[in-house]
Amino acid sequence: MSTITISNLRKLYGGVPAVDGFSLEIPEATVFGLLGPNGAGKTTTFKCMLDLARPSSGSILYDGKPLAPETFERIAYVPERSVLYEWMTVDEHVEMTRRAFTSFDPARAYELLAQFNVDPHKRARALSKGMKTAVMVALAFARNVNIMILDEPTGGLDPVNQRHVLSLMINEAAKGNTVIFSSHQIGQVERAAERIAVMDRGRLILEGLVDDLKADRKIVEGIFPDVSFTLDGIANDARVARTDRTERIVRLLVTAGADEIAAHLSAAGAVGVRVLDLNLEDIFLYAVSPATATADVVAKESST
Amino acid sequence: MPAVLTVDPRSGVPIYLQIIEQIRRSVALGVLQAGEQLPTVKQLAIDLTVNPNTVARAYRELERDRVIETSPGRGSFVRPDGSAEAPKVGAEIGRGALDVALREAKSVGLTRNEVRDLFEAGLERWFPTEAA
Amino acid sequence: MNYVEWLRVRNLLRVVLIILGILLVLAVVLRVSVARYMSPDVWVHQALMNHPGVKVTNVTLPDGTPRTIIDDPAESTRAVIDDHGYKGKRIVITEPSSRAHEENSQVNVGSIQVFETRNGKMTTTVIDTNGAVPMIYYMLLADIVAVIVATILAAPLAREIDGHLEVTLTKPISRVRYALEVIGTDAVGIVAASFLTVVVFYICQLLFESARLDFSGVNARAIVMGLACPMAWYAMLCAATTWLHRSYVAVLGFAWPIVLFIGVLTLIPTHNVVALFVHDVAWVLSRLNPLTYVSFAEPNEHGLLTYTSAGFAQRLSMQILFFVAYGALAIWKWQRVEA
Repeated sequence: MSTITISNLRKLYGGVPAVDGFSLEIPEATVFGLLGPNGAGKTTTFKCMLDLARPSSGSILYDGKPLAPETFERIAYVPERSVLYEWMTVDEHVEMTRRAFTSFDPARAYELLAQFNVDPHKRARALSKGMKTAVMVALAFARNVNIMILDEPTGGLDPVNQRHVLSLMINEAAKGNTVIFSSHQIGQVERAAERIAVMDRGRLILEGLVDDLKADRKIVEGIFPDVSFTLDGIANDARVARTDRTERIVRLLVTAGADEIAAHLSAAGAVGVRVLDLNLEDIFLYAVSPATATADVVAKESST
Repeated sequence: MPAVLTVDPRSGVPIYLQIIEQIRRSVALGVLQAGEQLPTVKQLAIDLTVNPNTVARAYRELERDRVIETSPGRGSFVRPDGSAEAPKVGAEIGRGALDVALREAKSVGLTRNEVRDLFEAGLERWFPTEAA
Repeated sequence: MNYVEWLRVRNLLRVVLIILGILLVLAVVLRVSVARYMSPDVWVHQALMNHPGVKVTNVTLPDGTPRTIIDDPAESTRAVIDDHGYKGKRIVITEPSSRAHEENSQVNVGSIQVFETRNGKMTTTVIDTNGAVPMIYYMLLADIVAVIVATILAAPLAREIDGHLEVTLTKPISRVRYALEVIGTDAVGIVAASFLTVVVFYICQLLFESARLDFSGVNARAIVMGLACPMAWYAMLCAATTWLHRSYVAVLGFAWPIVLFIGVLTLIPTHNVVALFVHDVAWVLSRLNPLTYVSFAEPNEHGLLTYTSAGFAQRLSMQILFFVAYGALAIWKWQRVEA
């Protein structure tokens, strides 16, 4: 069992909330992607989850219980920046991990290090940023755990190694473990994550299954013959999240019922009504930075 | 199974739908024969580098649509009558493609006759009639 | 025991061993170069050179010990040298009293003991080059090394806070236990450094003559205090660096100068109000320093370096108290630190 329940998490640094009333339920055996712009509070949330930072209020429960030292036998964590000891060799890091955890498999660790092309006899200070990330990833995935928490696990890695990390995550998912990761590589999130949550300014903006989000969220576009038209009825529909009008072109971001709303738009007099698909990047951009999103949405004719 | 499956995660189409569509297309075209075994959910997930639950969902829907059948312990197989669906699947795919084309044509303001002319021209290109 | 801290300790002990090894080599070199001057023949030669008319007699005692007797009738001086070889030499000098030898006295320098007794117009001086070596001398050296090692090691928690907490605090042991393991590892390192120093200096002494160590009385107390004091010093710096973890290097670097400076301030004459104030403040601060409680008294009437046994129990308790209190302070802060 490995469900994680975050309830009303608040964390203030010097009076400024980095996380501001964030609640999330992460079911077991899921790959969960946490997205958000820089400074959204993702890393802070991870730190609170691991007792590296104490929440100002709110709670985080693992299977209904708060985190205890023993729980760390079941959790593997890859932080965002390198926490390796610069003066120690990779071998010594492997030994350190072996002594710290009972579920660690040194042979598997060396296998992974070889796959990432890391020389285990080197000292950490002689490694590039990507290799340091690779070491932390190898040490984490060589353990037999239920929960993996990965903060930007592909930072500094070349595309081959990035795909490698992705495969490792998918493997964990296939084993029925929970993987929570944050990444700016939306493509990776789209592949690996079953569920995502989008965070911005310490709050939860969006949450759900990736497939459902993609299936439901669409842009309904229509062109009106002249500038004098009203959209009141349509724009007030609860399923219309956003309305963009530029002269005679209207674009509605809908969270469900795209076809129905497209029909309404046609009935209102629009021509060339289209329903456009949104990929995860579009969904993300619309959620956090609508200005950027509107300019960049690539027209993808919906096939539904 | 031949590596005909590719998925584009950046597309707006959910990955599970892409998988469903591609397996149906493979069955319709005979690339996947009746009774042929499909990869396990886990294996396909690793091959395609996508979430296993996405593959599982695709398989569930294919099973519901009677294209494949799954026996626990043995794996997933194309139904013996799966390819009997082939003409139906072909028709579905063709209709879908034409729908998209016609909708696009309409949205740029073409008339019915203009569309017909374009259609005849395209037909000649793709399905040339033998010179009598 | 903590693996990472153990690696740090091991690396430091390697350096200590190298330095001690160099000292050992120097001792060997010294031994070889003064070898010539260690036998009575040389002294005899010198005496003969300086004072013609000196008579030298060589005798062998019943137990095989060679005895050299140097007689200088002109000066009424007589020296009898018993050469016990590796076990040292016993020299008895009889000479006319002069103002330099007015009282009976005993002086000890290391293993060399000198007794002077005055009998009327003549003074007898007995020199024993192989007296028992009080452990206190060894502990002095060992303590210097131990305190230096303790200073270098004394920021284990601060070093973890400096960018490694994500690894350190995600292990399946409680924070308190982690801190105790780390401190325990450092303690082993400090004791090991003391031990290595004692061993190396013992070997150095063995090069010159057989060494007899005296573990009794004041020496036993010296050993105990010699182990407790660096640990208390370590605990104090551990607390200071854990609280001031952002600048722990500066804390370690300035520890000694600050402590010395405060020590000096406690000695300033209190002629005026300002001086009195400064003195009092410095006095209070110095009470917080474990090293203040290790006092070496003046050499006593026999010239023996010692410290008063009175108050030893109290002073040892202070060291233990400091160790526990400062350690608790460090661990308290460690419990609250955030990544």
